[in-house]
Amino acid sequence: MLFFRSEEHVDRWCESWRLPRGAVIPLDKGWELARAWYGEDRRLPDWRRRTLDETEALFASLGFTSEFWNLR
Amino acid sequence: MNNDEIDRRVRAEVYDVTMRSGMPPPAARIGDALQLAPDDVRASLQRLADARMLVLQRDSGEILMANPFSAVPTPFSVNAVGLSTYGNCIWDALGIPAMLQCDAEIDTSCADCGTAAHISVRGGNVIGEGLMHFAIPARLWWKDVVFN
Repeated sequence: MLFFRSEEHVDRWCESWRLPRGAVIPLDKGWELARAWYGEDRRLPDWRRRTLDETEALFASLGFTSEFWNLR
Repeated sequence: MNNDEIDRRVRAEVYDVTMRSGMPPPAARIGDALQLAPDDVRASLQRLADARMLVLQRDSGEILMANPFSAVPTPFSVNAVGLSTYGNCIWDALGIPAMLQCDAEIDTSCADCGTAAHISVRGGNVIGEGLMHFAIPARLWWKDVVFN
């Protein structure tokens, strides 16, 4: 996941790499995602990765509901 | 000690060292700390990588990513609580203050034009201009996690 100055720069990068445009989110939404994803303490013995259902629920809670965020 | 217990202890050690120092530890240091044989540490790291809890360097088997932290320099420099460290991507750069629950200063650049950018996390808020682009659909993220 890369950082870009603006939408125009995203489009230019996608064109130069011949990749379709993916999902673009503002920094504050990225911060919400980072807090939700990494907020747990991975040192704890009972920490585990989220299941698919849990990850989908997390994405949905942030409004990431398009096909791009589909995990199946 | 069974493999599950070894893996729990190795994971806890990896994140304890990483969160205190900013750098995932080498396998030898994990073995010393937990009094595990090198082969046992390497087997555990591989199991954790297979379970997508860590990413290993392809040839050495050392840790490449203890997400959100990178064991090698990247374009996502993070300074937080006296640590100078690196995220694996812009999401992970924000993930470091999220995991450490602290303020942070992030230095990166536009992936298109290379222009320098500075992002701050202060008091639970992110301050800075710019966007994050996810190039690979979510279900394919782990197909090539290093590229992603």
